Amino acid sequence: MAQAAHMLRTGQRGGLFQLQMAFRDLKGSGQRLGLAWSLAWHDIVSRYRGSILGPFWITLSMGLMVLGIGFLYANLFKIPLNEFLPFVALGIVFFGVMTGVINEGCDTFVQAKGMLSQTSLPMFTFVWRTVLRNLISLAHHLVIVLAVLTVYGYWARADVPQALVGLVLMIVNVSWASMLAGIASARFRDIPQIVVSVMQFAIFMTPVFWTPDRFSGQHMAILHANPFYHLLDAVRAPLLGQAVAPHSYLVLVLMALGGWTLTFALFARTRRRIVHYL
Amino acid sequence: MSHPVSITCTGLTIRFPVYGVDAKSLKKSLARTLSVGGKLGRHFGSTDVTALQDLNLQLKAGDRLGLIGHNGSGKTTLLRALSGAYEPDEGSIDVYGRIAALLDLGLGIDLSATGYDNIRLRGRIAGLSAKEIEARLPEIAEFTGLGAFLAMPVKTYSAGMQARLAFATATAVECDVLLMDEWIAVGDAEFQKLAHKRLLSLVERAGILVLATHDVDLLRLYCNKVMRLEGGVASEVTDIRRLDELLAA
Repeated sequence: MAQAAHMLRTGQRGGLFQLQMAFRDLKGSGQRLGLAWSLAWHDIVSRYRGSILGPFWITLSMGLMVLGIGFLYANLFKIPLNEFLPFVALGIVFFGVMTGVINEGCDTFVQAKGMLSQTSLPMFTFVWRTVLRNLISLAHHLVIVLAVLTVYGYWARADVPQALVGLVLMIVNVSWASMLAGIASARFRDIPQIVVSVMQFAIFMTPVFWTPDRFSGQHMAILHANPFYHLLDAVRAPLLGQAVAPHSYLVLVLMALGGWTLTFALFARTRRRIVHYL
Repeated sequence: MSHPVSITCTGLTIRFPVYGVDAKSLKKSLARTLSVGGKLGRHFGSTDVTALQDLNLQLKAGDRLGLIGHNGSGKTTLLRALSGAYEPDEGSIDVYGRIAALLDLGLGIDLSATGYDNIRLRGRIAGLSAKEIEARLPEIAEFTGLGAFLAMPVKTYSAGMQARLAFATATAVECDVLLMDEWIAVGDAEFQKLAHKRLLSLVERAGILVLATHDVDLLRLYCNKVMRLEGGVASEVTDIRRLDELLAA
């Protein structure tokens, strides 16, 4: 009983105080990352309980999609298979991470209702839970990435450290989008529908199933205005031995800063209300 | 920086925004914002309910407070506020000590997972490390009395068996401040006796107990102080010996 914990909760004391409390929540979640990991792991285990392949079912269906689209579009677009198949494979796997984190973000707080309404657990814990859950899924789908890169001999060209930097930037960015979706969905139950539609639209508007070099001139502007293009390219291009445009990194860093500022400000404002939304 | 276990509430006021089913729809909310004409309330689409009003409370180690009051008088709200889940709108809550809230036995129970997995998960939520849980697992397992069933999914359990599991895990936590909502009567007579013993020892170990209940016998059994809530307004904290006066009031 030596280290008695201390909890202080007070009424509204202005914006700065709210911000301070929001930071305290974030810090608290950092200390309890193990809990977020346990919850994420439990989610995966319970989602696939009783199934033999578990999360590999999704990997399998992704793999089939990669093969189907890879062969079909390579023929339609007259692109060599050894270029197009790895491109599609990486696109589908890594876009899947973004879709997963953002779509499941809508459920982050709604799903945690029971825990939020009777414990003082940091709210960020549940955001990390959603992110970590999708990283566990990604770890399964990496099988596809490894297979494709090996079969088509990309390892000599692939820049793995740079791809990892891209992955970190991607996760940092989709995390704020996920949390934003979580807060908005808790308050307005229409948001999940909207988010799902946007993500579906995005996968077709982003070079996942088609290559960006099919764009010409002025249309490139549209491509570069698509944040998902930069997010995906930062991970995919290095693995394919291609260069990432320097301004992509600028976009990603600015987007991370802007997005987190917005999300954090909203969180600071709504933190004490979220539990009542549920 | 060890500080004696205590609870201090000053001028605690909690208001609930009640979001109607309508207000959760973005369209309705937008429509309200965009529509011209009549003045909109400050919280359009929601009404505030004052669940607790200007509550003052001071408890120190050894205090076992019983909360009484009609349904909807704010007992559970107070417990949730003390657990840190609800933030005050005015005033403050200051708690020294590790808090354990046993408000919902079903917290963190996954029906398709095994009994053991549920114990682990619940322990993690309560703040135990994986190691601590493994160390405590045999003791919790024994207390449930479920034996080999613990390796089976919880959905195969009877209601009483589920209650045993939930109770055993929920009460396995070391804490200084214990918050309980009435649900003490679980399981069969034999288990109730065990549960009672366990609660008493928990109450002895815990510095402070706050228990919300309608059961007068239970109050006399566990508590030494009592507070009555009515429409979110609290009475003075009085000695349990004056319970009858409080009830009559």
